[in-house]
Amino acid sequence: MKFYAYIIFVLGLLTTATLVGQENAGRLSGSLETNANFFIRDSLIGAANTPQYDRQKFGGEGWLNLNYSNWGFDFGLRYDFFNNSNLLNPTGSYTDQGIGMWYIKKRVKKFGFEAGYIYDQIGSGIIFRAFEQRPLLIDNALYGLKVDYELSENWNIKGFTGRQKQQFDTYESVIRGLNIEGFVQGDSLSNWTLAPGFGVVARTLDDASMNSLVATLNLYPEEDLFVPKYNAYAFSLYNTLSAGIFSWYVEGAYKTEDQMNDPFGVIVRDGQEIIGDKFIFEPGSVLYSSLSIAPPKWGITLEAKRTENFSWRTRPQTQLNRGLINFLPPMARINTYRLNARYNAATQELAEMAFQADVRYAPSRKLSFNVNYSHIDDLDQVKLYRELYTEVQYKHKRLWTFTGGVQVQNYNQERFEFKPQVPIVETFIPYFDFLYKLDRSHNIRFEGQYMATGDDVKAGAKQDYGDWVFGLVEVSLGRNWTLVASDMFNIDPGKNSPEDEGGEKQSLHYPRFDVYYTTGPSRFALSYVKQVEGVVCTGGICRLEPAFSGVKFSANTSF
Amino acid sequence: MTKKYLTFGFLALFILLGLGCEEVPPVLNPGGGDNGGGGPISQQRRQVILEEFTGVRCVNCPAASEAIEALLGIHGERLVAVSIHAGFFAVPYPDATAELENSTGTSILNFLGEPLGYPTAVVNRRKFDGEEGRYTAQSTWPGYIAQELEQDPEIRIDLNSNYNDATGSVDIDADLYVDENIDYEDVRLTVYITESNIVSPQSTPDSVVVDYVHKHVFRTAVTSFDGDALNENLSAGSVINRSLSVTLDPSWVAEECTVVAFVHRGGGSLDVIQAHEIPVTE
Repeated sequence: MKFYAYIIFVLGLLTTATLVGQENAGRLSGSLETNANFFIRDSLIGAANTPQYDRQKFGGEGWLNLNYSNWGFDFGLRYDFFNNSNLLNPTGSYTDQGIGMWYIKKRVKKFGFEAGYIYDQIGSGIIFRAFEQRPLLIDNALYGLKVDYELSENWNIKGFTGRQKQQFDTYESVIRGLNIEGFVQGDSLSNWTLAPGFGVVARTLDDASMNSLVATLNLYPEEDLFVPKYNAYAFSLYNTLSAGIFSWYVEGAYKTEDQMNDPFGVIVRDGQEIIGDKFIFEPGSVLYSSLSIAPPKWGITLEAKRTENFSWRTRPQTQLNRGLINFLPPMARINTYRLNARYNAATQELAEMAFQADVRYAPSRKLSFNVNYSHIDDLDQVKLYRELYTEVQYKHKRLWTFTGGVQVQNYNQERFEFKPQVPIVETFIPYFDFLYKLDRSHNIRFEGQYMATGDDVKAGAKQDYGDWVFGLVEVSLGRNWTLVASDMFNIDPGKNSPEDEGGEKQSLHYPRFDVYYTTGPSRFALSYVKQVEGVVCTGGICRLEPAFSGVKFSANTSF
Repeated sequence: MTKKYLTFGFLALFILLGLGCEEVPPVLNPGGGDNGGGGPISQQRRQVILEEFTGVRCVNCPAASEAIEALLGIHGERLVAVSIHAGFFAVPYPDATAELENSTGTSILNFLGEPLGYPTAVVNRRKFDGEEGRYTAQSTWPGYIAQELEQDPEIRIDLNSNYNDATGSVDIDADLYVDENIDYEDVRLTVYITESNIVSPQSTPDSVVVDYVHKHVFRTAVTSFDGDALNENLSAGSVINRSLSVTLDPSWVAEECTVVAFVHRGGGSLDVIQAHEIPVTE
């Protein structure tokens, strides 16, 4: 804590120096993000049985980020606080506060260094990505040191070492890496460029994790036994070729033999099969490629990815989104409309074969089309996910804009959520979005979606939660105020919909009302929310994303 | 110039790879497990308690139960297992033939904090290095149990149970033999009753099995759910006695019930110091 206090003191001193000594003024910038949730118990929709609903009633979190630049240095400091927060664990409560991140950067001619909490990645992140995703409370910063050197105008090499952040602590395993990136351009008459790169990342497992792993392995049957290694290495070679309307990215990654957790592993004891978590020791690989073509009026992106045994974590005992050293690019469209985004294909780190195509065509400024197709299997060609998404958008004289289309999904709920014996969820979702400009600063927007799901023949009901309908009205009043009202209605309940006391499936409403106020860089939001619950299982571990019932407030600003 | 950069790059790569890939591997001792924990109290060794949090609606929990049985087969009396039905997945099925969830179990869940997912367990209520909290995933149980079993017991627990068939009452006599000076501020004794071989529906990977057999089910806490304070001087050589009593619910089968006792720290750390288990009907 003394060290943190010292950093705060130094930053304060620098700020004072800046204000007093204007002639050598530095630049101070920052941002504040804070959320407050007021929990109102509603056992009918399942908003109950968590500490917040049962007794705490309130939970919140916030991040105050400060950046200061002067004398060729960049300083950064982030204060994080969590009070009865359900971000870390949706069914739990997390309370802590402190310096969540700090860094010092300096560049001395061709040599640069950064110490503290480092966010960076190699290539597309397949072998290393230190990143933050606040909605899931992922903060995989590397706490250590990074140095880089400009070998030439177009070539750069960087190396780093450190330990991964774990809330206000760090994991004990040590991570180190090296990355060389370049840029090659043809002569003045050619129109092609290359951006090649090579990276290697190594992880040395800490003694406590290894001891725990060895103790577990000691109890394995002989046929499942292996000798684990402290050090594992991941290599990546990648390149972007740009030529005219083409841009082609390709990356190949290989990981040496490493201990990983297989959530569907089989251990046979006394003739009995036990399916569940099991450590395996295999090499891994990922091949990923993305081709973008952009002729006039067109935008085409084709992607393919093959993943095999590429769970790359700071310790093999971590699960879900904890302890991830890398990031595997998702191969399905990231949807934004409420019902279109209900079923998501989580990236499979042990076995996945995926393709995605995205085609956009805009024959005029008024009219545009978008078609997206995702095709994801495992390596045994078991269907995991299919999505066909179509969209047409028409803009009429800056007066109104209509967006509409249809989405069709096949979602392997058994695999993604580990719900055994359930059929592949089939959805058909027509949707529209209509924006009408009342005048220069007043808009009204309507949104509607209908999700029709297939039948679960075995259960004699609609699949999962059945059919939904969603409607939204958004009114923008000038530059400052935006009001939104929406409702998600389980119009034809399915197998997993809540039941009343008589055992009848219930058609429940999940309304939401939002008020947004924006002034300059600041934005405030006050919302009344009822949100449907869902059990999300990844790799055999189930995690309740509880229904939400209550009031949310958020404030964000930057300066 | 290019040659210089390549040399520099390969040198850095060589350093990164640790000047070679050879390393001294850890030593495995397969077939581990030492179930010799019983016998006279004077020979009692470290015993570890695994408190599993489970629920009838958790499809992955039967696999965890099988894993626990396998661990009990390996460690024998040195491992004490308790399955606490509490939380979101423990909401009973309408056709449940036995009540597995109870408010005391929920209090224990709240006391230890909410886990990230089910199945989950706390091993000696310890927060292990690298874990966010006390809850641990199934893959890590064997390792953490083995780690805890390596310790010597600071306290040995001698339990005696006297069951009255006519009234259903159980008189429990616990003698705590302190082997090492214990200067923790807050030390507590917690005593549970568990019951095995209860038949009631359970969600499994195939379907809801109506005649599923539940084991080590937490029934009640004889002490306070968070333990009764031991205010005596816990110096080496001292013996502390507690006499407790509980009446079994008529629906419980006494022959399938056990008394589970464990001494643990209170306050910020809840680490278990020693655990022990005996049948109710000795």
